[in-house]
Amino acid sequence: MIVTYNWLKEFVDFNLTPEELAHMLTMLGLEVEGMRTIGSDMDAVIVAQVVEKSQHPNADKLSLCKVNNGREIVSVVCGAQNFTSGDKVALAQVGAVLPGDFRIKKSKIRGEESCGMLCSERELGLSAESDGIMVLDQQSQLGIPLFESLGLKDTIFEIGLTPNRADCLSVVGIAREIGAKLGTKVRYPGQAVPEEGPPVTEMASVQVEDPAGCPRYTARFISGCKIGPSPSWMVNRLTAVGMRSINNVVDITNYVLLEYGHPLHAFDFKLLAGGKIVVKRAGEGDAFITLDGQQRVLTTEDLTICDGNKAVALAGIMGGENSEINDATTDILIESACFEPTMVRRTSKRLGIHTESSHRFERGADIGNLPRALDRAAALMSELAGGTVSKGMIDVYPDPAAPRTITLRLARVNQILGLELTGKEVENILKNLEFEVSIVDDGVFNIIVPTFRVDIEREIDLIEEIARLNGYEKIPVTMPQVRIRSDRPSRRRLLELKMRNLLVSNGLSEIVNYSFINPFALDKVLIGQDDVRRKMVPILNPLTEDQSVMRTSLLPGLLEVACKNASFRLMDLQLFEMRRIYLEAEGSALPNEPLHVAGLLTGVRDRAGWNRSRELLDFYDVKGIIENIVSALHLSEVTYNASVTENFYHPGKSCGIFAGNLQFGTMGELHPAVHETYGFDQSLFYFEIDLEKIVSLFTDTATVTAPPRFPDTFRDIAMLIDKGMETGIVLDCISSNRIKELAKVELFDVYTGSHVPEGQKSIAVRIRYCSQERTMTDEEVNRIHQKVIENLKKKINVAVR
Amino acid sequence: MKDNLEKLLRNALSELSEVGSEEGLHEVRVKYLGKKGLLTQVMKGLGALPAEERPLVGQQANTVKERIEAQLDTVLQDLKKSRTEERLKSERIDVSLPGRRRPMGTRHPITLVIDDIVDIFAGLGFQVEEGPEIEMDYYNFEALNIPKDHPARDMQDTFFISDSVVLRTHTSPVQIRTMLRQPPPVRIIAPGTVYRCDSDATHSPMFHQIEGLLVDTGITFGDLKGILTNFVNQYFGSGTGVRLRPSFFPFTEPSAEVDIACVMCKGKGCRICKNTGWLEVLGAGMVDPEVFRHVSYDAEKVSGFAFGMGIERIAMLRYGISDMRLLFENDVRFLSQF
Repeated sequence: MIVTYNWLKEFVDFNLTPEELAHMLTMLGLEVEGMRTIGSDMDAVIVAQVVEKSQHPNADKLSLCKVNNGREIVSVVCGAQNFTSGDKVALAQVGAVLPGDFRIKKSKIRGEESCGMLCSERELGLSAESDGIMVLDQQSQLGIPLFESLGLKDTIFEIGLTPNRADCLSVVGIAREIGAKLGTKVRYPGQAVPEEGPPVTEMASVQVEDPAGCPRYTARFISGCKIGPSPSWMVNRLTAVGMRSINNVVDITNYVLLEYGHPLHAFDFKLLAGGKIVVKRAGEGDAFITLDGQQRVLTTEDLTICDGNKAVALAGIMGGENSEINDATTDILIESACFEPTMVRRTSKRLGIHTESSHRFERGADIGNLPRALDRAAALMSELAGGTVSKGMIDVYPDPAAPRTITLRLARVNQILGLELTGKEVENILKNLEFEVSIVDDGVFNIIVPTFRVDIEREIDLIEEIARLNGYEKIPVTMPQVRIRSDRPSRRRLLELKMRNLLVSNGLSEIVNYSFINPFALDKVLIGQDDVRRKMVPILNPLTEDQSVMRTSLLPGLLEVACKNASFRLMDLQLFEMRRIYLEAEGSALPNEPLHVAGLLTGVRDRAGWNRSRELLDFYDVKGIIENIVSALHLSEVTYNASVTENFYHPGKSCGIFAGNLQFGTMGELHPAVHETYGFDQSLFYFEIDLEKIVSLFTDTATVTAPPRFPDTFRDIAMLIDKGMETGIVLDCISSNRIKELAKVELFDVYTGSHVPEGQKSIAVRIRYCSQERTMTDEEVNRIHQKVIENLKKKINVAVR
Repeated sequence: MKDNLEKLLRNALSELSEVGSEEGLHEVRVKYLGKKGLLTQVMKGLGALPAEERPLVGQQANTVKERIEAQLDTVLQDLKKSRTEERLKSERIDVSLPGRRRPMGTRHPITLVIDDIVDIFAGLGFQVEEGPEIEMDYYNFEALNIPKDHPARDMQDTFFISDSVVLRTHTSPVQIRTMLRQPPPVRIIAPGTVYRCDSDATHSPMFHQIEGLLVDTGITFGDLKGILTNFVNQYFGSGTGVRLRPSFFPFTEPSAEVDIACVMCKGKGCRICKNTGWLEVLGAGMVDPEVFRHVSYDAEKVSGFAFGMGIERIAMLRYGISDMRLLFENDVRFLSQF
């Protein structure tokens, strides 16, 4: 809502600077989002009075004037003749800059000194044409800036209104708030309508077939209007608040809309068939051309204003082209009606038409204000368009709304707000807001709500009004008196926090991607058509196709980020994302949203530097991270299964991650086809873990054993195994010996090449033996070690070298 | 004999004072104390002395030996010390060269802000709650007193999944889910991802909020001011000005926008606060009785307040980020600064 300082002053008295007013409105909940002044660049043009006018001695067409500028008498040479001594005039003083960058300087004109210039309207940019200089009203105050005197110097406030404050969508509404805060009365423009014509009922009729959609319809008839331009004061006002002037009649409806907040519509009466108005639902599929020239297709949900045989307006939204005010219009029917908010909103949303009118009806119009707005418009049309107003008004109001009453308890007010207001204070606040207050009982009031406050329906609404007007700053700062209660974060949140810390401490950086992706993103990462992740949740109204389905995998997002960074030649990346994915859930209205974490690594293992060689990452870097996680979360029975993998991995360099029989993740090098799709020459490594699967498995209270107090002894075994055999089988075989002295198995070499037979690999393992009771002797260790070797030979048939 | 010994001692000490290396020291040791050393020979010659002289000379020889050994030791220590000093002098490295840094990742600023804020409220006894991001229209709107066809829906541009399912536009549905699950008292803090179909320099179609809710007996608007003031002082620094002004949210009444004194200019007025001296950081209010009705709480018996804030906005203020899009571009040069 845009209002101006001067316009507000017409309705309420206040002694505040524009800045103070803006602050006050903001603190009332009418947030002033923008503020600017107009006309202040013309402050050097002032109201002056001609005290003496005489002929210029050296020029026939010029006069020499003595002008009082309010402080002194100055000489001005002037070429115009349309004024006399004593007239008040517009004096552009030395230093003034007029439109067109015309700078006024002290000069000599034909030998006579001239200190300034007497201005015409054209020279001041107030009109396109003018005849002679401006002669001002004799009441104009001497010496003040001309624009101030004309009311053209003003401050414009842009107010961001919340949707509940329909009552403030007008100058009067905002003036009312100022009055309520300052405790002063608002001056409503009481304007008597000069009724002369025949009774309105003889001229026109109104029939409302849908009283639910249109609870009240008032109208007046005005004949003999002359369509023409609006007076400059009205044009200036409309322009100031960002409205375009059209003609006097249309401007009046807009002006009253801004003033009172009630949308009006003016019909060219001669274009209304049968001289009547019928308010009814549109027929299904009816076509209708609105004022903006657009053809609209209507449904039975839409309320229309019709004449004897056709629709002439979309109720509360926009008029029709067929009954529009035009240059030939003389007779006018003004509509001031009230329409049901939901209906207006549905039609306006469906057709995509948002107007000043629909904006107000959607939020609720003041049904009690209809006649007042109608009268104001009729009076202005008589005054400014020369029309004759017929006697009386049509008022179809079959079921007048009873005033809304609310019971208010003082104790409740203070209990909610934490204040100690007295009954008198509460009463004053509400009376200032034009509520009627009567005392029912001690501390209990009966409140009658004025019709303009459509938002006030309940006691709590009144409590908010009291808090608002009393000032939020007056509410004391207290701490709640509550029972102490505290709990650990849930396991899920603990896991999330731990996982994030683990990954960060393993050198990975967190990214955050949008949850929506392109539906074809899964093609690029080779996820099969029958994969459950293909069932993505689509968004009905996406912003772009790239953001049109909810993701079922974190991989596409991480790859996109890798590409984006690579385009800046940032090729060494160790990233992770821990967010939800969205999977269709059979038989449930809402999908599942499991929390996943995924990592993408590429480039060098460790930042290369002056003292460090460039070593590239490989599969075992990823596995190392996973092993760190497994160890820190104390997950048990974790295994890596190369036969369970995903299409997007290199089939020979990837695996599933299991805890017992439960798979909770995958890891590996990405498939060469994925590298190619995303334009990477260097290897990309990925892992993804479903955190929901390990929420119940992790623990942060490990069972520890004291380290042995005796030194360990080690024995190494070198052996040959099949090249295709997993080394893990050997390690597991060793660990599976039930020997309590076997403390640790360390793999320290894996080798293929010369000296190793074709198809085999050499592995070397160091086994550490240790007793909890004593230092072991060589014989003891040898005996146990021999058992381990025998076992290896027997169980997996390895060749020990 | 006695003179001999004294001379020998004098010579030894004199030679030792000239020694410049451990090798030299060794030579001196051999020369005097070695198997064929000068002093050893004197000792060996003791037997040839008359019996009555032997103890005295023997004692003298021992004293000389001890003196030489002591001096040998002293010189050795000095040599070692100066050798160490010389080594340390020669072993100077260039400390201005960059270090070999252990790999260290960073948390995303959105996470950093969420965790910091959650910690503050956890300290005040608020429990973390979460809810689905793909949410029923009912929880996202209706139960929060935002009926269908209400202009308040225009406040939030919604992504729809179906007629009755939306991407949640705020974290407020977590309030409803929590209150439906448990009786009062309630004290929760709910961080989460939310969505609105809006995208420009200051709006992202996906962003994050933190929602707080406290419901108990006798909770007042003053208590809301108290909790928020405490939070602002903990998070933005003690003494940070807090201002509440009336606003409108369908699910709270009275409602407030919460401004803090501009963290950039300390309230003097700058570009960040558009010269107002204030920054809007929170929305808050007393829980609307209509919301209590939807979750079957008795609004006559309990009261409460709710508040919510945008994480991105706070992250931008906290870290001086001027464009929200930076938060979602995931440029590692940006991320590595946290």
